[in-house]
Amino acid sequence: MAKAPAKPAARKADPVLLSLFDVQEATLPNGLRVRLLANHQTPVVSLYTFFQVGSRNERPGITGISHLFEHMMFNGAKKYGPKKFDQTLESNGGRSNAYTSTDMTVYYEDFASDALETVLDLESDRMRSLRINDVALKSERQVVLEERRVRVDNDITGIMDEELGTLVWKAHAYRWPVIGWQKDIENITRQDCEQYFRTYYAPNNAVLYIVGDIDPKKTLALVRKYYGDIPKGPTPAPVLDAEPEQKGERRAEVRHPAQSPALMIAYRGPAARDEDTLLLDVIQYALAKGEGSRLTKKLVYDTQLAVSVGVDWGWRLDPGIILFFLELKPDSDPRKVEEALYAELQRLVAEGLTERELQKAKNNLRADHLRELATNSGRAHAMGHYEALLGSWRDGLSLPSVYAAATNEQVRAVAAKYFAPERRSVVTVRPTAPADGAVPTVDAQEVA
Amino acid sequence: MAARKSATKKKPAAPTMGALMLPALHESTTSSGLKVLAAERGPLPLVAMRLVVRAGSAVDPKDKHGLADFTARLMRRGTQKRGADELDEAIEFVGASFSVGSNEDLLSFFVTTPAEHFPAMIGLLGEIVREPSFPEREVELARERTLAGFANDLDDPSTIADRAFTRALWGAHPYGHDIGGSSAHVRTFTREDLVRFHCERLGPKVALLSVVGAVDPKLVLDEAEKAFAGWTGGPEAAPQIPAMGKMASGRILLVDKPDQTQTQVRIGGPGFRMGHPDYFPSTAMNNVLGGGFTSRLVNEVRVERGLTYGISSYFDMLNVGGVFAISTFTQTERTREMLDVTLSEVAKVRAGGISAAELKKAQRYLAGLYPMRTETNESVASVIGDIRVHALGDDWVEKFRERLCTVKPRQTQEVAAKYLFPTPPLIVLLGKASAVKKQLKGLGPVKVVPASDYE
Repeated sequence: MAKAPAKPAARKADPVLLSLFDVQEATLPNGLRVRLLANHQTPVVSLYTFFQVGSRNERPGITGISHLFEHMMFNGAKKYGPKKFDQTLESNGGRSNAYTSTDMTVYYEDFASDALETVLDLESDRMRSLRINDVALKSERQVVLEERRVRVDNDITGIMDEELGTLVWKAHAYRWPVIGWQKDIENITRQDCEQYFRTYYAPNNAVLYIVGDIDPKKTLALVRKYYGDIPKGPTPAPVLDAEPEQKGERRAEVRHPAQSPALMIAYRGPAARDEDTLLLDVIQYALAKGEGSRLTKKLVYDTQLAVSVGVDWGWRLDPGIILFFLELKPDSDPRKVEEALYAELQRLVAEGLTERELQKAKNNLRADHLRELATNSGRAHAMGHYEALLGSWRDGLSLPSVYAAATNEQVRAVAAKYFAPERRSVVTVRPTAPADGAVPTVDAQEVA
Repeated sequence: MAARKSATKKKPAAPTMGALMLPALHESTTSSGLKVLAAERGPLPLVAMRLVVRAGSAVDPKDKHGLADFTARLMRRGTQKRGADELDEAIEFVGASFSVGSNEDLLSFFVTTPAEHFPAMIGLLGEIVREPSFPEREVELARERTLAGFANDLDDPSTIADRAFTRALWGAHPYGHDIGGSSAHVRTFTREDLVRFHCERLGPKVALLSVVGAVDPKLVLDEAEKAFAGWTGGPEAAPQIPAMGKMASGRILLVDKPDQTQTQVRIGGPGFRMGHPDYFPSTAMNNVLGGGFTSRLVNEVRVERGLTYGISSYFDMLNVGGVFAISTFTQTERTREMLDVTLSEVAKVRAGGISAAELKKAQRYLAGLYPMRTETNESVASVIGDIRVHALGDDWVEKFRERLCTVKPRQTQEVAAKYLFPTPPLIVLLGKASAVKKQLKGLGPVKVVPASDYE
C-alpha cells in the first residue's frame, strides 16, 4: 500500500494567474469584505455577492429555506420596492441571477460599466432593508414548487440525486436537497424568512467581488458610500458535523417508468480544505475528462457497457462525495456495469496512473483553470469560490503548482483511502412499465 | 441551484456605452481555397478556432435524417494516419479540446488549445477534416450509442417537446427534422453513407476558419496553409435551402407522457431569417414581451401567478427562415390557465405594441449586455463565422448597439402585428394527456400522440 499523501510542496502562485489578479482588498468596519479587480477589455462589469449560508445551515422543518429565500431577495426592499430591483437593473443595462448550494448563496450581476453605482445602490438596499411580504412569498413558493417539479420530480437524475443524499448522510444537513422537501417549502413562514435574513444576510457574513471595467479606488469609495452604514450582525452559529462513520455499503433502488436503468454511485470524500481534495481533482480528470479518459474509454468505448459516464468531485465545506453517474442502454444489467466500474477503481488503487495520464490530468486542470478566467464573471466567481471553500481567493492562484507536484504514489494512496466499498452508496433506477398516474417508488436498505 | 432562468440577450445601445470593437481581422485564403480569418487577442495564453462548414441538417438526405451531425461526430474517430485513441490522446494530452456543433445550416468544429500547442492542434483539425477514415467499428458503436440515446431521451420531457415542436411546425421543410435525426433513420446509417456525405458536402469552398487568441496572425495563416493544403471535395457554392413554406398553425399536438406531473408547453409560428431587416425592432419588442426577467410574460405568468419557474419568447433565426416561439412549462392542472394567460399577453402586444418607455428599457438592457458576447476568444471566433456565413456585414458587432438604439416604437408595433401570431399558432404540449386534454376546449383541434413517436 502506498504511503499517505505528503503535504504538497510550498504553494506557489502561478505567474500567469498572478499577472491577472492585481486585486484591491478591503474590509469595511461592519465586516463586509470587498475584492476589486480591473479588466478593461470590454465595457462591462460583473459583481458577485457571496453569503456564507446554504442548505447546510438549515434544519428539518425549514429545508429549502436558503433557496426559497434567494428568490425573496428579488422581491423588494425599502428603497427599491416590489419588482423594482430587476426593472431598475435591466433599464440600466444589466441582468442578475443567483444560485444556492449546500454551502453558499451567491448573487451576481453583469452590467454595462456605467451602471456600477446603480447596481451598488440596488444590492446594498436589499442587504440593508429587505422587505418580505406575504403576497410575494406565496407567489415565490409556487414558483419554487414548479422548479422542484422540473428539476426533481420530472427528472430522473433529480430523483436519484435526492435518494442518494438521504442514503449517504444520516445526520448532516447535506442529507436533504438544496431545493428542500416539498412539505417544508409549503410551510416556511414569513417569520422564518425574516429571522433567516437577520441571521445570515449581515455584511460580516458576505463578500463582494467586483471585476471588469472599473477604477478600483473610485469603486471602493462607492462601496463604502452604499454599504458603510449597514449594521454588523451577530456571528452565525457554526454548523456541527455529527455525521457518523459509514460501516458498509448502502443501496437504494428507485422504480420509475424510465427507458433504461441508470446508476449513481457515491463515495464519501474529504472536505474542500483537506489536502486530498486536490488529488481527487487529478483523479477525477484522469477517470472521466475527455474521450480518452480511463472510464470513458473502458466503459463507453471498449466494453460498451455504458452510454456515458461522468464523475463529479464537488468541493464542499464539510466532507462531500465523489459521485459517479452512468447512463446505460435499455437492456443493461446495472450490476455488471457496477462491477466493471469497481474493477477500474481497484486497478487505480493497485497500479495508479501512468506517468502520461498523470501529466495529462495536470495539463487539463491548468487549461480549464485558464478557460474559467476568460470572463469577468468567471474571475469574480472563481475568487469567491476559492475564498468560500479554501479560505482565501489567493489559494486559487497556487492550484496549478499544487497539481503539478502531485505524484502517482499520492494518487494511489488517495484512491485506496476513498474508493473503499464501505464508503459507498449506490442508487439504481430500475425501469417499470409506465402506468397512468404512476409515481416513482423507492426501496432503500443498508447492507452492513 | 439557480433561482432563475438567465435570459440570453441580444445587443443593446445605451447612451454612454464604451466603444466596442472586434480585434483586427487578418484575412487570407489557403491554396486549397479555404478562407481564413485570424485575430490576435490576449492576455490568456489560449487560442480558439472555429471551422464552419455549410453542411447542417438541412442537407441531410431525405431518408437519412441526422447524417450531417453523425458524420461530423465520427470524423474525430479516426483518420488515414491515426485511430480514435491516438487522436484522443494527441488532443487531450496537451489540454486542448475538440468539439462538434451542428445546427440546421452549419457544422462547426471547435478547438480550444493552450497557445503553445496551436500549430499541432490546427494540424490535427486539418487532418480530421480532410481525411477522416470512418472506421467500421466506430461507426457501429456510435450508431448503437445514438440509438440508446434516443431511447433515453424519452425520459427528458423538454427534449421530446422540442423535437415534436420542430417537426410539427416545419413539416416537410429541410428544417423540419431533428438535427440528430431519429431512431428509424440512424438505424440505417452505414460507413458508406458517411464517406459519401463527407466527400459531397464538406469542402473548402463552403467552409471558413476563424482563429482568435494569443497567436500571431501570420503564424495562423502559415499553419492553416499547411493544415489544409490539398483539401478537395465538397460543393463549389453554398447549398440552396428552399424558402420557408407555410407553417403549421391553429392546432394542438398533445404528446402523451402519463407519468408527468407537469406539462411542457411550446407555442410557435413563422418568424424570419438571420440578417433580416426586422431583426432589431423584433429583438427589442421581444425583450419586452418575453425576453428579459422583467418581461410581460415573466411578470404575468411567473411573478403574478406562480404558474411556472421559467417562460421566454424568442425568435429562432436560420439561414432561410425562422420561427417566433414561446417555451415554458407548468403543473398539469394549470395547463389551460397557463395557455390563456400567455396567449392573452401576446395578443395585447400584437394589438397595442409596446410603450416608448418599455422600448427604451429594452434598448438599454440589450445594449448594456451586448459587449459580453465578445468577452472570450471562443465567442469572437464564433461571431466572426456567423457574420460571414449569414452575410451580416463586417461592422455587425461594432454597429450593433447603434442599430438597436435607433429602433422606433412604430417599428416595434409593425413587427408585433407581423409575427405575434396574427393567425392562431401551433401549440405543442407534452404531459399527462388524460388530464390535459379536457382542459383544451375551444383552442383548436387536438391530436394526441404517444411520446414514443419521437424516439
